[in-house]
Amino acid sequence: MFLRLLYQSFRRQQRRKLLAGIAVTLGVAVATAMIAVGVDIGDKINRELRSYGANIVVYSDDAALRVRVGDQEVKPAAPGTHLKESTLPSIKGMFWGHNILAFAPFLDAQAQSQSGPVSVLGTYFDKHLRFGTEDFSTGVEKLYPWWKVQGRWPTDEGADVLVGSQLASRAGKQVGDSIDLSGLSVRISGILTTGGAEDNQIIAPLAVAQRLAHAPDAVDRIYVSALTKPEDAFARRDPERMTAADRDRWYCSPYANSVAYQLKEVFPGARAEQIRQASQNEGTILSHISGMMLLIAIASLLAAALAVSAAMATTILERRQEVGLMKSLGATAPAIASLFVSEAALLALGAGILGFLLGNAIAQRIGQAVFHSSVAITPVLLPMVIFLALLVTVAGSVAAIRQALKLDPVLVLRGDV
Amino acid sequence: MSLHASIFLHVLKRGLLGRGNRPLIAFVALTVASTMITAMLSLYQGLESKLNRDFRSYGANITVAASDERSLPTDAINRARAALGPEAVVVPFAFAVARTTGDEAIVVVGTDLDQVRRLDSWWSVSTWPSRDNEALIGARAERHLRVENHNFQLDFAGRQLSFRQAGALKTGSDEETRVYIPLNTFERWTGIKPSLLEISAPGSRERITAAVAQLESVFPGMDVRPVRQLLHTQGSVVSRMRSVMLASTLLIALTVALCVFSTLTSSILERRHDFAVMKAIGSSQATVNALFAGEALTIALCAGLAGYVLGSAIAAWISQANFHAMVMPRLSVLPLVILADVVLALLAAMLPLARLQRIEPAGILKGE
Repeated sequence: MFLRLLYQSFRRQQRRKLLAGIAVTLGVAVATAMIAVGVDIGDKINRELRSYGANIVVYSDDAALRVRVGDQEVKPAAPGTHLKESTLPSIKGMFWGHNILAFAPFLDAQAQSQSGPVSVLGTYFDKHLRFGTEDFSTGVEKLYPWWKVQGRWPTDEGADVLVGSQLASRAGKQVGDSIDLSGLSVRISGILTTGGAEDNQIIAPLAVAQRLAHAPDAVDRIYVSALTKPEDAFARRDPERMTAADRDRWYCSPYANSVAYQLKEVFPGARAEQIRQASQNEGTILSHISGMMLLIAIASLLAAALAVSAAMATTILERRQEVGLMKSLGATAPAIASLFVSEAALLALGAGILGFLLGNAIAQRIGQAVFHSSVAITPVLLPMVIFLALLVTVAGSVAAIRQALKLDPVLVLRGDV
Repeated sequence: MSLHASIFLHVLKRGLLGRGNRPLIAFVALTVASTMITAMLSLYQGLESKLNRDFRSYGANITVAASDERSLPTDAINRARAALGPEAVVVPFAFAVARTTGDEAIVVVGTDLDQVRRLDSWWSVSTWPSRDNEALIGARAERHLRVENHNFQLDFAGRQLSFRQAGALKTGSDEETRVYIPLNTFERWTGIKPSLLEISAPGSRERITAAVAQLESVFPGMDVRPVRQLLHTQGSVVSRMRSVMLASTLLIALTVALCVFSTLTSSILERRHDFAVMKAIGSSQATVNALFAGEALTIALCAGLAGYVLGSAIAAWISQANFHAMVMPRLSVLPLVILADVVLALLAAMLPLARLQRIEPAGILKGE
């Protein structure tokens, strides 16, 4: 009897059920989309902020002081001990290796050109590396997406170079010209504008700089761009003075400090420091944006809950006559209430799943349109959203059912209320 | 006419005040809608300036360098400040290479340390110098200086000067290899004038780019450059957040509008008896429509105002809690919110009325 009533209610009142269903679907969809975007936005903006460049630098511990004023290297750093180029791929093998978005090694060298001494900076442009079974490529193209190259990027294996824009205009060089570096003739494949010291340098493949510096396998500094978590009080603690458990937790959190610590383990005898300008400021921006989106997700959840419970309440209040009829036929209040609540629960379940799928689609659209990448949806969201939908629909119905049950059936059936 | 008008007003008043909690429900629903819309729009408009302000903490976004070993004109700071207004931070830098007592070369920078503190808030400094002969020492420079008892000596072109260490500086980049001293001490010691201005101009990427052009005309022949990496990041983050906020605002507005619409529509449908009675005792369709529309309009206006106040308060609270800075109530949002409310209320009233018109009043009164 109960099941038949339930079935008939869905079969006969299709318009009303459809309206309530649409409300639940939309509410759940909006809540799902906002939560998914809100949860994922930290990661998305973090990647966006990483386009600023490196946030960790690794350099040899006893490297001499660099004496550099503005763009000009006054005195090249005396060759101290170098880092080893052959160790570079192991960066990907460290605990937070997957959070390393890009890195590039740098080696300073000096060369004599036709127009006097020039400073040469050796680096990776987009070098293919292999660690274990993993192939990846890294270099300044990924690390500094804002470097503007007029012409083409050189390859890492060839002997083509980039020439800084100021140096190029001083020496009257253009793309395609060749330039003599201490007897080594190289071709200019592009003119580089960065707004920094590189504008006065020649950027060459690392191997070329190593030949010029007579330092095989050598690297001066490594700039690393890593996805990190904003720094908090725990991140600033000294790992040497922690308890074993704290140290493990610190080591396994992607703080700039702990990633730097792991880099130090990869390069024994090196120092690894967070570049405070990048790491400190992006922390602030990230926490502001995530906090804001969290609050907005909560607001959208509230709005959706309100919309759904209002829609449920109205559909039930429209059915006062039905309630009156059941009461006058002798149905008890709990029997009526359980019928209506079951209806609401069924609706919430069906429309909730539909809404979750729709919300996923909306979140993906936002992700594709704004960030050109998909938004990660945690599967935990599905039971959570369905539970919330059930809660809100049933809560919205219960208040209305109680109100409908309080009315006198005689008055309701006469149409006086 | 005047009698007609006064009856109309009376019925309108009774409809609004003397009919239990039905107008109240409509008012609450519309207020919630306008609150959400106001809060989202205020946050949307305020977010950009908040983010732009956040990006200023990265430090300079424009540099002005004197060309080829020369120094900047003496009034350069004032000229830059005059061009950019009081909000901009302008910091002069002068560079010299001095020798330590161990005869190592080291870069000494003369600057306005109070302004640097404002410009580069991310510098980690144990103690900022407060006196003329105090110096800030980069973390990597420290062991080359042979600091004894907080004192060390530097030599520039045969002129010795002793300094007192105020604090150590950690940044993770080239600043760590240098010694920073107050500009007037530096000028008296070396005779070198500032050759670089680091400027933090306020505003969006577009405004900063405009400021670069402005500075180029103020400093002809000098090297004015935007800090490209900062502007690139700022531009992309701000524009992406703008799109995300717009999408969220639209989604939330759609949800609350839908909720309000369904509530209002059913509250009008429930009054089909009033409608039928009015028609039955001879009022014209236009009068009935005007009456329902007037009711909806009054409620919408009140709800719009109340929602505007509430929504502004919520936006102010959110930005206070999140950005530690208020979003001021924006008057530009008010007409938009009221318009949205009125359109919503009128639509929600007119659609069911159009449906009721097609039914005979007698049918409605009989309860069909």
